[in-house]
Amino acid sequence: MPEPVDELPITTGDDVVRVRQAVRARAGAAQLSLVDQTKLITAASELARNTLVHGGSGVARVETVERQGRRGVKAVFTDHGPGIADVEKALTDGFTTGSGLGLGLGGSRRLVDEFVLETAVGKGTTVTVIKWTR
Amino acid sequence: MITEQAEQLLELTTPVVELWEGVVAVPLIGTLDSARTQVVMEKLLQTLIDTGSEHAIIDITGVPAVDTEVAQHLLKTVVAARLMGAECTISGIRPQIAQTIVALGIEFGDIPTKATLADALLYALRNSGVEVVRRRRTGAG
Amino acid sequence: MDRVPILSLGDVLLVSIQVDLQDESVVALQEDLAERIVDSGASGVVIDISAVEIVDSFIGRMFATIASLSKVLDAETVVVGMRPAVAITLVELGLSLQGVRTALDLERGLAALRQRRAEREIPLADESDEAVEAPTAAWD
Repeated sequence: MPEPVDELPITTGDDVVRVRQAVRARAGAAQLSLVDQTKLITAASELARNTLVHGGSGVARVETVERQGRRGVKAVFTDHGPGIADVEKALTDGFTTGSGLGLGLGGSRRLVDEFVLETAVGKGTTVTVIKWTR
Repeated sequence: MITEQAEQLLELTTPVVELWEGVVAVPLIGTLDSARTQVVMEKLLQTLIDTGSEHAIIDITGVPAVDTEVAQHLLKTVVAARLMGAECTISGIRPQIAQTIVALGIEFGDIPTKATLADALLYALRNSGVEVVRRRRTGAG
Repeated sequence: MDRVPILSLGDVLLVSIQVDLQDESVVALQEDLAERIVDSGASGVVIDISAVEIVDSFIGRMFATIASLSKVLDAETVVVGMRPAVAITLVELGLSLQGVRTALDLERGLAALRQRRAEREIPLADESDEAVEAPTAAWD
């Protein structure tokens, strides 16, 4: 029987906190190590915030997944905002002085095992991340 | 993929020792792989908190070679220790490893490195305000 | 929205973050701290994050901002109690937290602040000299 997906709206700052909590619950249930849980929740926090701040608002879908006997947690962040014009720049940006896009996508990518970014200017952005148990 | 059993075995074979009050060390032995290095590093950082130590030493005298991934993990551990408010020194870097690190273009920057574990211990002690002295004999027996 | 309480410990302000902070609370904390530093004339700020499980870029930037802010207001900041998992994640995220001093725990954080204060004090010219207190700022 397939496990349900947590679907969470992202329209306020409180929603970002709820996304963290949902990801934490799934990661704990999937028995990810403490460090891996921390990395995934932190990435989710970044992505949820992006959805809110850059995307205007959106949705997060969190679910437990399995592949070749390994369990993992998958989170998908979708918005119908402006999209990202320069993907490469967004992925290589640093946080330092807040210059540039400040999306922190590069950092988030390093925290997870799988990272897929789909975006179209004027249409929106979808980021999918997966963290597997080691 | 590491199973729980394998992880427990890793913990047993890579002990973190408290060399002195406030100084912990992990002597790494054998070939390091990315997974093992990560587990050891996490344990080292946790031990800093558990023992309230501000100094960590990673000794790699017993490590014949490191690859980019392992070197990066070592580096990240040092930076993480600093973020926590502690200092981390790497000791026992063999000439071959030093060459590998340089050849790979890895910046070891301002990470304190010491030739031997003994040097690293002395460095950590001095940083903690502890001095080691050799007493002069006060007179013929 | 939760407002993070700010406690006074001598001439040091102590902030202990216990809950999962929402972005608005983070901004409010920065503002509250700036006001309190000026009102109290505090020379140090300790941010205790030993109960914090997640530090993302927003919170990381808050530490850097508070550190800069305090400096401008003649106070030093130290962040204490960072958990290993948080430190490891911050390194991976690429947040260097430059300009933010850290210490293992509250005790060491306070000691570090004391030491810095002592270093910054200009010694009296003569033993017979009398130390004078500067008049406190009075903002209307």
